[in-house]
Amino acid sequence: MMALLNAQAEVSAISNDHLLALAAILFSIGIFGFLVRRNAIIVLASVELMLNAANLTFLAGSRMHSTSEALNLDGPVFAIFVILVAAAEAAVGLALVIALYRLKQTVHLDALNQLEG
Amino acid sequence: MEQFLFFLLSLSAIAFSVGVVVVKSPMKSVLSLLGSFVSLAVIYLLIGFQFLAAAQLLVYAGAIMVLFLFVVMLLNLSDVNAVFDAPTRVLGQKRYAIATGAAALIGLVALFAGGSVQASESAGAIPAEGYDRIEYLGALLFSRYMIPFQASALLLLATMIGVLVLAKRRRDGDIEEVSR
Repeated sequence: MMALLNAQAEVSAISNDHLLALAAILFSIGIFGFLVRRNAIIVLASVELMLNAANLTFLAGSRMHSTSEALNLDGPVFAIFVILVAAAEAAVGLALVIALYRLKQTVHLDALNQLEG
Repeated sequence: MEQFLFFLLSLSAIAFSVGVVVVKSPMKSVLSLLGSFVSLAVIYLLIGFQFLAAAQLLVYAGAIMVLFLFVVMLLNLSDVNAVFDAPTRVLGQKRYAIATGAAALIGLVALFAGGSVQASESAGAIPAEGYDRIEYLGALLFSRYMIPFQASALLLLATMIGVLVLAKRRRDGDIEEVSR
């Protein structure tokens, strides 16, 4: 996409497959934590784990689609947006946790049964 | 050497992530999350994304982590733990969660290993100044991604106002109405 790459490229020993596998593992751990844990703070932390795995995938994709003449910068740009959304999500989520704690004196998600779900 | 470092960092990232999910105390869990963020930041550095590594450290390990720690410390943890140890109401939930997580892992690995994601020839080469050269990144943000960029500014403003409204201490009468 974007401009030239004049300097000599050193060969990286890290393959994209390894990056994608790591991202898959981290994402699965995040899903697991999101479903298993009942503590609202840990659930939010699991969401952050999943967003991090998504970021790693974006960067691996950018590496995949960059050639020596043209860098692909869509991956890093999207990673920046993901980081931004993650920050906003953490702020709102933790504010919700505080509001929940004020209301119920707990952050246990099973205590939220007012809607009889 | 590089590869060895990568595997070491991957192992630590995975171990810290498992720690986030498994450890009982929220405090230790959040600190484990910090370890996971830092490991990933070093991995970013290793694969040639210098700016993203810095952003990861500043935003995740700095700002978001402070937010998490602040909330964990703000809330009364002894009370939290007492309720936390209570058995979950939904029976067999843990089993479903393990099944979902395992299915997701198998699916993702199969997708990547099955060749539907193909690597280009240049996959192995890191440009000398990294992939995310900051001047190109900035130019792209202010040209092609101008509207998402402005929208994200709006998102941050909305978040700020929303958090203020949510976390604002209410007058005593308000809480009585809603609770229980």
